[in-house]
Amino acid sequence: MTRGPLFHEQTARQRIAAVVDRGSFDELLPPPERLTSPYLAQLGIPVSFDDGVVIGRARIGGKKVYLAAQVGQFVGGAVGEIHGAKLTGLFKAAARDRVPCVLIVESGGVRLHEGSAGEIAIAETMRAIFECRALKVPTIAVIGTDIGAYGGIGILSTCCDFRVMTEHGRLGISGPIVIEKWMGKKAYDSSNRALVWKTSGGKTKYLLGDAEALVHDDAGAVREAIGKLLAKSSPVTLKNVKARQKDLEKRLKRFGKTGDPDDVWKGMGVRDVARASLASGPEFAAMAKAGRR
Amino acid sequence: MKTQSPRALLGKLFGASAKGIAIENSLLTGYAKVGGKDVCVIGTCNGTYIGNASALRLAAQVIECIERRPRTPIVMLVDSAGQEPNRADEMLGLASYFGHLLGCLELARRKGHRLITIATGKAVGGAFLCYGMFADRIYALESASVGLMPIAAMSAVTKIPAPVLQKLSKTMPSLEFGAKPFALLGGVEEVWPASGDLQARLAKAIATATVDDNRAALGKKRGGRKLALDIRNRVLAQSAK
Repeated sequence: MTRGPLFHEQTARQRIAAVVDRGSFDELLPPPERLTSPYLAQLGIPVSFDDGVVIGRARIGGKKVYLAAQVGQFVGGAVGEIHGAKLTGLFKAAARDRVPCVLIVESGGVRLHEGSAGEIAIAETMRAIFECRALKVPTIAVIGTDIGAYGGIGILSTCCDFRVMTEHGRLGISGPIVIEKWMGKKAYDSSNRALVWKTSGGKTKYLLGDAEALVHDDAGAVREAIGKLLAKSSPVTLKNVKARQKDLEKRLKRFGKTGDPDDVWKGMGVRDVARASLASGPEFAAMAKAGRR
Repeated sequence: MKTQSPRALLGKLFGASAKGIAIENSLLTGYAKVGGKDVCVIGTCNGTYIGNASALRLAAQVIECIERRPRTPIVMLVDSAGQEPNRADEMLGLASYFGHLLGCLELARRKGHRLITIATGKAVGGAFLCYGMFADRIYALESASVGLMPIAAMSAVTKIPAPVLQKLSKTMPSLEFGAKPFALLGGVEEVWPASGDLQARLAKAIATATVDDNRAALGKKRGGRKLALDIRNRVLAQSAK
């Protein structure tokens, strides 16, 4: 079987082109508008005409969507004032037009070079995401690269109705290097890649229920997963938040004493940890499901 | 400046009714009165880190308030140095625990609870994003440490010399750390002097709060965040065509 390039190896624009219906993408505030960060310019750091995020509208399986993809190669996909305002505007447009909104995440969080402006922008985007959710307009975060979803963008991703992950994707707040610096190498060895991925990678997040889909590292698979979620929503109701509270309490009670991700894997139905480590996302999901029976 | 005990600060904000607020592991939960009316209080003190268990505890309080005390305003006090920098918490989904707390607050907002934040001490990073910055209106004590991070820390991570950032921060308040520059960005509605009548200020804050997010407009008006509102509006205009 022939495959296209791996999703995690693609650029933001390639990911969009591969996920949406052919030729359907219409970029908003495209690079010719040259919206560049005045902060980076002042600091003598290269700027980008899209400020590290591509936004627009498209169709997936014939259905209208709003879509954003962060550009990891540009200051780690981090959120500055313009980048953040583009995201806020996009989710607000999605709420206004009752059109689902998909965010292809690749960001370490707030762009430090722009200070607090990026932090506030993330908070504003969170408000806009919840505007969508109140209207049952689906919001979907796709997390499929090692830059992943960290810092404020990690939190923001959990505000969306659904998360689609690949095994390459990582979701968290503090990254391994930061934790190692604070707590020491004994507490978290950031060079131990297996540990890093078992801590924050797609497989563990999927097992715990923090990602709704774990798919192949392939744009076609991501597109299919998005397509399945476009007609669904996860409304913020009292019943739902109470169920979530119970679920998170249970998780903490069950695994709060262990620091070992293998205990979590085994507890969630993975019988052969070594084999599961090498399995693809969908194989892994199937193994865990079989183990829970 | 002199640091005051959490109890002393609660007394200033809620008078005698502050006794209804429990302090446990530097987490604040309970009910008090402002201007004779009930409020629910959640928050942090002593600059504590917020981990999974803390986020769940605060979420439980919000859910209880929604169920038992409909439409009661929720006052969020923030004095936290950040998210728990801990691998085990990350592994179990710290971001998801924070997202859940935000979901509970959103439900409260939709059900008619006004949400007011007061940054009382440290209000930085994920600890501010996971509840305080999600309020209808956000206030800060003058002495509070509000913002992404101090310039020294920003310099250490970005490798840009501190004097360069210091100089730039004079014209770019986003780079400066503190309640006042944060207010210039629209991130804080108003900075409160520690000496004033905090109870009266809080009562007025609750009475005047609305659910619209006015921060980008404020940031533009105050000149600290000039681009955000216009860019957002351009997206809205282009997408309407």
